[in-house]
Amino acid sequence: MADQMSQLECSIETIINIFHQYSVRLGHYDTLNKKEFKDLVKKELPNFLKKQKKDDKVIEDIMQDMDTNEDETLNFQEFCMLVARLTVASHEEMHKDTPRGDDHRHGPGFGNGGQGPCPSRGGQGQGNHGHGHGHSHGGHGHGHSH
Amino acid sequence: MLTDLEGAINNIIQVYHNYSLLKGNHHAIYRDDLKKLLETECPQFLKKKNTDTWFKELDINEDGAVNFEEFLILVIKVGLAAHEDIHKDTHKE
Repeated sequence: MADQMSQLECSIETIINIFHQYSVRLGHYDTLNKKEFKDLVKKELPNFLKKQKKDDKVIEDIMQDMDTNEDETLNFQEFCMLVARLTVASHEEMHKDTPRGDDHRHGPGFGNGGQGPCPSRGGQGQGNHGHGHGHSHGGHGHGHSH
Repeated sequence: MLTDLEGAINNIIQVYHNYSLLKGNHHAIYRDDLKKLLETECPQFLKKKNTDTWFKELDINEDGAVNFEEFLILVIKVGLAAHEDIHKDTHKE
């Protein structure tokens, strides 16, 4: 891998690594089957899919929805679409109760904040200015499957 | 506490705002902001296409700025390329 990864690259690498942690377990090493997907949702997305994770049927529905080539497994492309939807949902959640206008602020979004594995490196951009990610008030967080 | 996957997703949102907040609308990345973003976050993606080409490709609604959803298209492309690279490096398991 590259010498010094950017925040974006580091985040993407984390996503790929987690996909692989589950995809290698059963069947084809680079796709998720039902069982692998269920495990991934329950262990890796407990805050983002809070409601859905409790109901196996709902998880199966999500999987079916993402499985655009209908081969009963999710490849990385299909998994990416779920990640994109969750990114949109989390961003929406951050803007719930916080203005999008002059004073751009973010609420905690899903779950309890926390920085994740790729803290920003300063340098380019504004770092954390005007952002409230990470500082949390209790864990709310509504699931979102679409 | 967020998991690594959830943290990574939120980091992507943060990356977007690092550039979208630079000026103007809070959810708009303008052409020169996109240049900064590409140069800083994924310079290898400027090898085949320059900023102008990327900008045209990403600005689907042609409003002169890349909004959050349009930015995610770039993220998915970078992600898919990175995933392919990994399997190139490591042969087949």
